[in-house]
Amino acid sequence: MENVILLAILLPIIGAFILPVIGRFSAKIRNITALLLVTTSFGASLSLLGPVLSGKTTTFLLSMPLGFDLILTADALGILMALASSFVGIIIVMYSFGYIHHDANQNEYYLMVVLFLGSMIGLVYSQNLIFIYLFWEIAAICCWRLIGFYREREIVLKADKAFLITVFGAVAMLLGFVILYSQHNTFNLLEMQGKEASSLAVLLIMFGIFSKSATLPFHTWLPDAGVAPSPVTGLLHAAVLVKIGVFAFARIFVGTLQFDPVWMQILPIVIAASALVAGGAALVDTNIKRIIAYSTISQLAFIFLGLVMKNPIAIAGGLLFIIMHGLAKGGLFLCAGIVEHNAHTKDIRQMGGLITKMPITTVSFALCALSIMGIPPFGGFFAKYMIITGAVEGGNPWIAGVFILGGFITVLYVLRLFALVFLGEMRTDLVNVKEGSNTMLAAVVILGVLSLLAGFLVHFPNEFIQIALEQMKVGI
Amino acid sequence: MLLAYILVPLLGAAIMPILRKIWQKGTDSVPILVTVYQIIITGWIAYQGIVLNGSLNLERWILDQVLALRLDGLSLVALLAIGLVSFVTVLFSLRYPLDEDRRPGYYALILLAVTGMNGLVVATDLFSMYVFLEIVSVASFILIAYQYDEFGMEGSFKYMMLSAVATVFLLVAVALLFAITGGVSFGELAQGVKTGGPVVFISFAFIFFALALKSGMMPFHGWLPDAYTASPAPVSILLAGIVTKIAGVYTMIRLVLEVFGFNSVFMNLLLVVGAVSTVLGAFFALGQKDFKRMLAYSSISQIGYIMMGLAAGTPLGLIGAVFHFFNHAIFKSLLFLNSGAVETATGTRNFDELGGLAEKMPVTGTTSVIGLLSTAGIPPLAGFWSKLVIIVALWMAGFKFFAFIAVFASIITLAYLLLLQRNVFFGKIKQGLEGIREVSPVVYWPAIIMAAITVFSGILFPLVYDKLLNPVNSLLGLLAK
Repeated sequence: MENVILLAILLPIIGAFILPVIGRFSAKIRNITALLLVTTSFGASLSLLGPVLSGKTTTFLLSMPLGFDLILTADALGILMALASSFVGIIIVMYSFGYIHHDANQNEYYLMVVLFLGSMIGLVYSQNLIFIYLFWEIAAICCWRLIGFYREREIVLKADKAFLITVFGAVAMLLGFVILYSQHNTFNLLEMQGKEASSLAVLLIMFGIFSKSATLPFHTWLPDAGVAPSPVTGLLHAAVLVKIGVFAFARIFVGTLQFDPVWMQILPIVIAASALVAGGAALVDTNIKRIIAYSTISQLAFIFLGLVMKNPIAIAGGLLFIIMHGLAKGGLFLCAGIVEHNAHTKDIRQMGGLITKMPITTVSFALCALSIMGIPPFGGFFAKYMIITGAVEGGNPWIAGVFILGGFITVLYVLRLFALVFLGEMRTDLVNVKEGSNTMLAAVVILGVLSLLAGFLVHFPNEFIQIALEQMKVGI
Repeated sequence: MLLAYILVPLLGAAIMPILRKIWQKGTDSVPILVTVYQIIITGWIAYQGIVLNGSLNLERWILDQVLALRLDGLSLVALLAIGLVSFVTVLFSLRYPLDEDRRPGYYALILLAVTGMNGLVVATDLFSMYVFLEIVSVASFILIAYQYDEFGMEGSFKYMMLSAVATVFLLVAVALLFAITGGVSFGELAQGVKTGGPVVFISFAFIFFALALKSGMMPFHGWLPDAYTASPAPVSILLAGIVTKIAGVYTMIRLVLEVFGFNSVFMNLLLVVGAVSTVLGAFFALGQKDFKRMLAYSSISQIGYIMMGLAAGTPLGLIGAVFHFFNHAIFKSLLFLNSGAVETATGTRNFDELGGLAEKMPVTGTTSVIGLLSTAGIPPLAGFWSKLVIIVALWMAGFKFFAFIAVFASIITLAYLLLLQRNVFFGKIKQGLEGIREVSPVVYWPAIIMAAITVFSGILFPLVYDKLLNPVNSLLGLLAK
């Protein structure tokens, strides 16, 4: 089984570099290969599920000099993330076939998307801090090239901005890792189990986590990154990339290290501010993709709230919301992509009444939006409910109150967005707008339906999360 | 075999004038053969692990004088870097527009510089080191001004003047040390230095100053950007990639290791100078508008990293410094190769006139991204590992503030390199550049080779560590106590 982990990681990473070569001969074969690579990686992670369900983990170890051992462990947390990421990855690769089929630089596009997914899988299985950092930065490189996909000067500037901010956070985090190394004399997380992290290390690592997961004060790159193609924003800024930060938090601080209780006072305040500020920004912005990006920032704060509380219900809620948010927000971005692609504008003031022209997109958007808002019986509701309950039980009713307000703002801006784009009177310049292509519609429908189904079948992911919690020794 | 490192390139240089008369076409192949020979031999020594726990020594008495050469882990890394960088330089030169009549002379000078560097690397006494250093310097002065243009002359003259100052200081230091110890071999010097006293201190200070000048550390960097920018494209690859590193950095590492030891006063000074070079070099690079000038300041900044690693004064720091030394030779010559390719294709190095070249020059564009990421220390490329080791070493040695500087300077590094990418390669093609085509394969293949080395020495870091860096560990036995 050990080699299956390697397969899940290396196949997309190495395969990614073959894609441009294939692309020189045939775009079609390249697209199919890209899809196959991601699907196989998903399958590999799925096959690791078996041992985990029976309570075991699979570990791959390769000794390296200077303590940089490559340690890959397929535990429940890792598999949860790997499955969520590669599943959304499959959908997004499919959607891309329709979305970018007439743009330049497609070879680079598929290379970067598949490489990105591979490094994401690598990151979630890594148990060595250095390798977490390594995959973290490979993801950042891909993100940089993908945001700058359209090559306009303004767009490249924004890509550079995103790259600089996230790398700034990452090197700060690297220094934090070095501090942990000097404390415990190892980079291996398995050996750090239950040990204390110094506050300076926590601070530096939080820089990295907050910059990657776009949380105040490092959130500004995320709305700007909306200049990327929509499948990329869906992939990077909704479902996968921004989850790296919350995942690292779960891996390092929930599952492994202890930190000073004072952080339990500081972190909730930062993320509460992040939720409110981003929610406010989403209420006033007029660019469809920026609104969804701000919404991502505010929803990430919910995930963080769940993970920060030292409370099993809240943590379970946080992990659940990673999945739910990934599905729903990915769907929203992809719907926004269809709208923007066919209406040729991103400004919501120039849209309206699109429900008559794109019924399927509208319904999918609505399903995803309901999940994000946290309306029962959609998946998002259970997650948010658990997070808030956990926060109250954890003795933070005030913070829980702020987040209920945050949830209310979410409802407001999502409704505003929906109303302005899809409802109301049809504008004259939009009468010729058509529905998206079949693969694109299939992608959004799958995500929309899953957002609903995940709510009805919340039992399954929840059970799996309980195993993850057990393995992380939470609540025992 | 050790003598061959000096004699083969020297012989190559010597037959150039003869070949020029009888078989001019053959002049191209000689430098290629010589450099390939060096890469193969050095690679073989590394692969076989011959110097893993010791060194190759050569001692011969000639007319009552001892000739002693040595090849250990540190020299191994340096020799490999010299071979690789001079190989790509020669390859790049093949198509570079030079006066055909003077081409053999140009190759002879390059081979002479290689001779000097090789000799410097295997020397075991301070005086030989000085002599070889001068050979390298003289060859570089002429190479910089090889096209007789105004800038070349100016750059060469600046370099020559400041080098002369460094030389005087170095020579005085050698004389002083000879006076008190009665010998110039590293062993004898180390014995003499142990006694301490003001003379030793002064000579150390002189050497330190001379080498700081030679390696172009702040605040002695004035000559460096001019010399790099003014020289013909292939010469700047050689200069930036290896010459100044061998002349300044290698000598510093060698002398600290074998003669002076980790003297706390000088190590702290080195740490501060290194940190200042790292940060200011990066900031100056941020403000440049000329491709090569930006890279020149970047060199200053990266040398600061190497010096900081050395100054940590621990085995880990030494390994980091040596590894970064090697990586820097590779990725900086890669970036200079790119700048040469861009200049060849477009005729300019000015950022204002360039843009979006990646579309037209895919190979140059892609390799420049690899060079950029390695320089900025982004994993999984080689530059990341060496920087990481330096940062860990600094932190573990207790220089926490300097570890912070080392970490955050890499953000500035990334910032100016992204600026470079944005202005030259990444983006929409600039008006007037639509007709640009990729340079010929002879010009871009060297860049592919260097990029491949950077990528693979990053991914196969354990192998590199085992074969190339582990031998450095054994050097610590030499450490003057």
